[in-house]
Amino acid sequence: MSNVLEVKNLKTYFYTEEGVVKAVDDVSFSVQKGKTLGLVGESGCGKSVTAMSISRLISPPGKIAGGEILLDGRNLIALSNEEIRQVRGAQISMIFQEPMTALNPVLTVGFQIAEAVLAHERVSKREAWSRAVEAMRAVAIPDAEKRAKDYPHQLSGGMRQRIMIAMALVCHPALVIADEPTTALDVTIQAQILELLDSLRQQYHLSLILISHDLGVIAEVAETVAVMYAGKIVEIGPAMDVFHNPKHPYTQGLLQSVPRLGSSVRKKDRLDVIEGMVPNLLHLPDGCSFAPRCYKKTVECTLSPIPLEPVSERQEVRCIHA
Amino acid sequence: MPDAAEPILSVRNLKKYFPIRRGVLARVAAHVKAVDDISFDINKGETFGLVGESGCGKTTAGRAVLRLIEPDMGTIRFDGIDLLSLSSQELRRRRRDMQIIFQDPYASLNPRMTIRTIVGEPFAIHGIARGSERDDRVTNLLKTVGLDPSVQSRYPHEFSGGQRQRIGIARALALKPKLVVADEPVSALDVSIQAQIINLLGDLQQEFGLTYLFISHAIPVIEHISTRIGVMYLGKLVEVGTSAQICLAPKHPYTQALLSAVPIPDPGARKQRVVLKGDVPTPINPPSGCRFHTRCPVAIDRCKVEEPPLREIEDGRDAACHLVE
Repeated sequence: MSNVLEVKNLKTYFYTEEGVVKAVDDVSFSVQKGKTLGLVGESGCGKSVTAMSISRLISPPGKIAGGEILLDGRNLIALSNEEIRQVRGAQISMIFQEPMTALNPVLTVGFQIAEAVLAHERVSKREAWSRAVEAMRAVAIPDAEKRAKDYPHQLSGGMRQRIMIAMALVCHPALVIADEPTTALDVTIQAQILELLDSLRQQYHLSLILISHDLGVIAEVAETVAVMYAGKIVEIGPAMDVFHNPKHPYTQGLLQSVPRLGSSVRKKDRLDVIEGMVPNLLHLPDGCSFAPRCYKKTVECTLSPIPLEPVSERQEVRCIHA
Repeated sequence: MPDAAEPILSVRNLKKYFPIRRGVLARVAAHVKAVDDISFDINKGETFGLVGESGCGKTTAGRAVLRLIEPDMGTIRFDGIDLLSLSSQELRRRRRDMQIIFQDPYASLNPRMTIRTIVGEPFAIHGIARGSERDDRVTNLLKTVGLDPSVQSRYPHEFSGGQRQRIGIARALALKPKLVVADEPVSALDVSIQAQIINLLGDLQQEFGLTYLFISHAIPVIEHISTRIGVMYLGKLVEVGTSAQICLAPKHPYTQALLSAVPIPDPGARKQRVVLKGDVPTPINPPSGCRFHTRCPVAIDRCKVEEPPLREIEDGRDAACHLVE
């Protein structure tokens, strides 16, 4: 299997007045052609900053402080601003959580999709427009020709998210990064959008990075799952292994703390919880960042940084007790 | 389980329409039918979950029950008293027994007040427990919700989302209410913190014999916490039953679709789902007949013209659908 994207030892730091925030600290993973990687974790774990780093959308005081981001073997970190602009939208595109803020309210949606084509390809405006309409059809927007002339406010949240997906796909990128694409949507609309993303991925052999805090959403679509905590990947492996046989105490805790459908038969009064809360990235504990909340904690956990190590052929875990 | 005793809250034919004004004369051009004729009972000590998608009217229903929004029609009997007949002064006194916890722990705490003032405010409003007695009570409340009482002189911005939600809960419990309306109390929180707050709400219910009206769009959360569940769609209750009846064997096609849309955190369990077509119609001009017929996978002609009433279809379960036996 060929890797479309390889991220190696990525470090993205924010240099604030109070100190250096290591939002992404030594993160490595790869995405195969036509496959989906799920990045899961709670707020502040660094999953969105990872995505922004891949698209080189980090602005001061943030900075990519180290590592490599290889897209088809080409290191994106070494590219000039002009070069990365050619990559963005054409080879990598992003879908954000809030389609209302990501779309320009005073331009028609068709124009905004066509703009993406014009930015990257030498085509006539008429051609770009027809590509836009075609992309809208591909994301199953009924009456696409007419809808292309609508402004964002005339569309529902689900339709706006389809527009964002059409815009992301119109230049046939190799990699799409979807950052909480369904979080703002109702559950029945979420189901529609997830199904759409998955069928487009198969149809166009897209590689997809799906970022979500929702373990259910990740389990639905991802083949590989990376769990992040306090800027680091704590567990990575095939979805089946990570969900069915989680090795890191944080992954275990997360999976146990979500209420599940069917709980009314199991008659369990209390949910298992992870005590405490996510540490402040400015004052991370020595050693394992999760140690203060961990039920397996020992003195060894707090002495030195814990490496991510294989526990099986396919699964890696950052825990000395795994 | 519902017992023979009179329910603590009994809502009948509750309606709330919001006017939409247009033009220079601000004439009422239409109404948003946010809550359109719903009835339900909540028994003492149980948790009644109200679930539905955005715009279905669940929040409006929760607020109308407390008269934070004045209902247009209907009756609300709470603890034997007709709430809608009370004057605003009488209502204020009654509010001691009915409190609310809001979704957004950032917006619902005054940033200029210390935690002591915020949690002590219900005492100030109702003129009970002054001076050191009030301080003692605040201290106890903070302990009850799992906060260190030494935080009293701090301000809301110094706390995380989960801690703020605990402060909101302490404030709601200050006057030992009988009924607590919890409106999406965990939706803004991270997964690991959500579980902590859900457990806390459960513990407090047992300790103080609280009755909850729990409003959420998250079905697994509702199932976990509720004794009975009401499912809303476009201002109407479409199905009401016990947690197990609704979540294990839903009868209304909307409930079925809603449940099948919930993503399961298990990659091995990817299932056949009923994917509903289209979007929720606007509550300004809801579809005729059954409001769900435009998206319903099994709708027949009758559904377009005749509105199905909410009727009992088996012991403890009501559904509003022509096709459910």
